[in-house]
Amino acid sequence: MKIKNLTYLVILAFLFSCKPELDEVTLSSGNVDFSKYVAIGNSLTAGFTDGELFYTGQQNSYPSILAQQMKPAGGGDFKQPMMMDEYGFGRRLVLDATIQMPVLAGLELNPQNFASIAGQGPFNNLGVPGAKSFHLVHGAESFSLANPYYKRFAAQPGTSTILAEAIAQNPTFFTCWIGSNDVLGYALAGGAADSITSNEVFQMSLGILLQEITANGAKGAIANITDLEPLPYFSFMNTQLPYNGLPITLPEQAAALNAGYAQLNAIIKSFGSNDTLAFALGQNPFVIADKDLPWGIRQMKSGELFLLTLPIDSIMNHGYGSMVPIPDKYVLTTSELANINNAIAGYNQIIAAYAAQFDLAYVDMNTLLNQVATEGITIDGVNFTSTFVTGNTFSLDGIHLTGKASAIAANEFIKAINLKYGSDLLEVSPLFYTGITYR
Amino acid sequence: MRKIVLFHIIMLLSVSSLIAGGYQVRLQGQRQTGIGLIGTSLFGDASSLFYNPAGLSRINGKYSFSAGMSAIMNSVGFRLNNTYNTVYNDNPVGTPLYFYGSAMVTNDLGFGIGVYTPYGTTAVWGDDWIGAQLIQDLSLQAVFIQPTLSCKFGDLLSIGAGFVIVTGGVELSKAIPYNSPEVMGQTNLQGSTSAYGYNLGLLLTPGKKWSIGANYRSEVTMSLEEGDAVFTVPASIPEQLIPRENTFNAELPLPANLDFGISYQATDKLLLAAEVNYVFWDVYDSLKFEFSKNPAMLNSSNPRKYSNTLIPRIGAEYKFSDIVTGRIGFYYDPTPTNDQYFTPETPSLTTYAFTLGLSVYPIENFAIELSYLHLETQQETKSYVPDNFTGDYKSRTLIPGVGLRYNF
Repeated sequence: MKIKNLTYLVILAFLFSCKPELDEVTLSSGNVDFSKYVAIGNSLTAGFTDGELFYTGQQNSYPSILAQQMKPAGGGDFKQPMMMDEYGFGRRLVLDATIQMPVLAGLELNPQNFASIAGQGPFNNLGVPGAKSFHLVHGAESFSLANPYYKRFAAQPGTSTILAEAIAQNPTFFTCWIGSNDVLGYALAGGAADSITSNEVFQMSLGILLQEITANGAKGAIANITDLEPLPYFSFMNTQLPYNGLPITLPEQAAALNAGYAQLNAIIKSFGSNDTLAFALGQNPFVIADKDLPWGIRQMKSGELFLLTLPIDSIMNHGYGSMVPIPDKYVLTTSELANINNAIAGYNQIIAAYAAQFDLAYVDMNTLLNQVATEGITIDGVNFTSTFVTGNTFSLDGIHLTGKASAIAANEFIKAINLKYGSDLLEVSPLFYTGITYR
Repeated sequence: MRKIVLFHIIMLLSVSSLIAGGYQVRLQGQRQTGIGLIGTSLFGDASSLFYNPAGLSRINGKYSFSAGMSAIMNSVGFRLNNTYNTVYNDNPVGTPLYFYGSAMVTNDLGFGIGVYTPYGTTAVWGDDWIGAQLIQDLSLQAVFIQPTLSCKFGDLLSIGAGFVIVTGGVELSKAIPYNSPEVMGQTNLQGSTSAYGYNLGLLLTPGKKWSIGANYRSEVTMSLEEGDAVFTVPASIPEQLIPRENTFNAELPLPANLDFGISYQATDKLLLAAEVNYVFWDVYDSLKFEFSKNPAMLNSSNPRKYSNTLIPRIGAEYKFSDIVTGRIGFYYDPTPTNDQYFTPETPSLTTYAFTLGLSVYPIENFAIELSYLHLETQQETKSYVPDNFTGDYKSRTLIPGVGLRYNF
């Protein structure tokens, strides 16, 4: 009788439990434990995009996506230091579709975004916008006070370091993507300010980080640094205004400029250089400042880059690039580019070596991004190129990734982790992550 | 600017996530629902108006009235490819209803009129769900009015014909990829229309025990014209690109049905019945939208590529006493949808169904009827290839029904 009742109950329960259950998804984690995942890095890791750190951008960060995909393979909770709204510290950009230009979203700041949320920690995502390699480790305690993005979630601003906060959580798995800011500061200033972190400092900082975080057996994945030239911040302006985009249509204009620079040219010649300035009908290279020259001025060369901040209005109306040299901060010269590229190559060698030394999964983001920049890639019908705004890859600040690109960055990590550790993590589709947001 | 290439509309009569079989519902009588949704070979009351008009000249008594409704409680679970969590739709209960009245005008001629709503339902997936750009919610009402005439020739044969007038309305919302930090881009389409069709039936009763029925319900073309389209987009999107108010045309074919049924009075108490429904779904090839403003960008043709289906049914009715009759039935309803063009607005999966029914006669010829229809599907992987939208679906539907039947 009892079994019969039980059967009826089971049948009734089946009939009247309305929700149909799908089969459970369980995936292999290979020989890695995903239960406590900590992410270390800079703005890319934090989910900074469209010029600011804000709620939806953080939800689309690649560590957040990774943590989701780790869930069916034993992954645990993943806490991020969320901003309260879509505007963060107030520099969020949106696309004004009428003028086809990024503009500030311009809403009132929420003071809550500046208040400390340390009490909600500890946070699994320790990405901090602006962090350079040496900011992560011991000796950089002041960084947790000086950097407002870190200050709002640091356990003890002024005392905390990212490495210490990572180790305090006893991570079983970590990702590390650091080094961009070590060159970016210099690049964003057009080479006129900031400085590139030396290979020695980079190597030492990264070495300490990896040594200590793996000390208790944590496994991890490390990504290399991408070249800066494909980024719209450095490549877009040249598509609008090439290095020789100064048009001279009247002979009098050419004559006037040549006359104006005649005295300078004489000085240049007297130094034994041939790098004089000359103007003719047709397209002419712009005049730029160059601090490496004693006389400080020359014409731009092919391959040199304008930054996104280049004031076009001043070129059109105030003689920038012809009568007035374009200031250094809007230009990356050949030698500045060489400094940047050498630094990136150096960091990437160090990263690859450490990946081998510490037995980590190695993520070659640089190759992926160069592929996007040269041929473009298509995933699930989404075309990724390095074109500004419409390329699906870079956000409105010209540097950071869109939600969709963040998804393919996460997929690169997933591929590397699966390859290294034999796990079965599934990749995500960029279709379901954000692209451009409009005003 | 990105081109909006995909617009999906609700099928006018698409009770999405409803009882499989594409978007067709067959809950037009409690007796029939209880016996496996079989009705072509049955007769005796005004509900034959829908299932086989030939039955209207074979009602018990001179007048027959039948009315009822069902409550459709449906749940569809969906899991996007490569994710691990299941999301569920959040439909309110759908309530199709019917009212039939018929009379024997002469000994051989029956006339009836019926009003039924085979599609009164709302499907809700939610504004933020993963498939929001395919569908967020859709709401559908349609009323069918059918005056019907039926004639019997002796005891052997009867025929019937009904003229069907359909008036319907639909509203749907879906997300579009133009968002601001505050506003989620959305389009809301609303339209109504009328359409016409016919319902033909034939009934053979060779001897007292057997009954053979055939029924053909015509295709009905629902043409929505000058429907209202409202687009909610961020303020900086130019009006020429996405007009905020627009009108649209769309057309949805409701397939024709050809049914054959047979029933056998095995004993005084036991009636056995079997039926097949052939549904001409391949008429539904694609869903096209045409907008009056900015058609170059907004118009779309969305493949559906449905296939014809054959639905086998069996059922039995048992008269326990003068007061109580019970029913049971089973059927198999293969999906007409195409694996590659499957959309969550009409997630109709191949369905396995069973039914139960009960009629209680407090007085002679007056029945209070109860029915229960239970629909199950398997978990299946389906794609909508044009949107790269692939995932696993599973559906369960519980449909109790109640009705009254009175002959005199």
